Amino acid sequence: MKKGMVVLLVAVLVLITTGLWFFSSSGSLKSFDMVSFGVIILVVAFAVFVGYKRLISAKRGEPAEDELSKKVLLKTAAWSYYISLYLWVALLYIKDRVSLDTEEILGAGILGMAVSFAVCWLVFNFRGVRNE
Amino acid sequence: MNNRIKEFRARYNLTQEDLAKRVNVRRETIVFLEKNKYNPSLKLAYDIARVFDAKIEEIFLIG
Repeated sequence: MKKGMVVLLVAVLVLITTGLWFFSSSGSLKSFDMVSFGVIILVVAFAVFVGYKRLISAKRGEPAEDELSKKVLLKTAAWSYYISLYLWVALLYIKDRVSLDTEEILGAGILGMAVSFAVCWLVFNFRGVRNE
Repeated sequence: MNNRIKEFRARYNLTQEDLAKRVNVRRETIVFLEKNKYNPSLKLAYDIARVFDAKIEEIFLIG
């Protein structure tokens, strides 16, 4: 329950910060900023979904975490780590070939890591994790 | 690994939510177990067997 509330609180803070950034620079937003904004919204939606699931479990009197959810998290962490390694290698390769600032490259890398984590979690959460 | 959780649950007139509460896991875990998408730990298998007053090998079938 407590962890679910923290996840929701962080999601709200990220949303407020992103909103402030969006409205303060709405006149000079580049297409890269718009894509970043969209990805942040998706990541926040994912966090809200996870927080909501935890709260529902707590309301039903079930544990927020059990052996399956821990296994899903473990497998998600491992896979998103591997994907992130390749993502950063790809970013290092393209950084000299595109006209993006260092901050934009770093932002893309961090957002890419968040997206890979969210996608891996969704895949394992809905597909299940068999004990191999 | 296959299992007969659904069959035992019906026999004991338990919902997935009831069983989840009895063995202290989330309902989703019971759903995945019944669909054979997750193999439980020995502890969870033991807890489920205890709820149904049966042996582990009667509920969980290998092969």
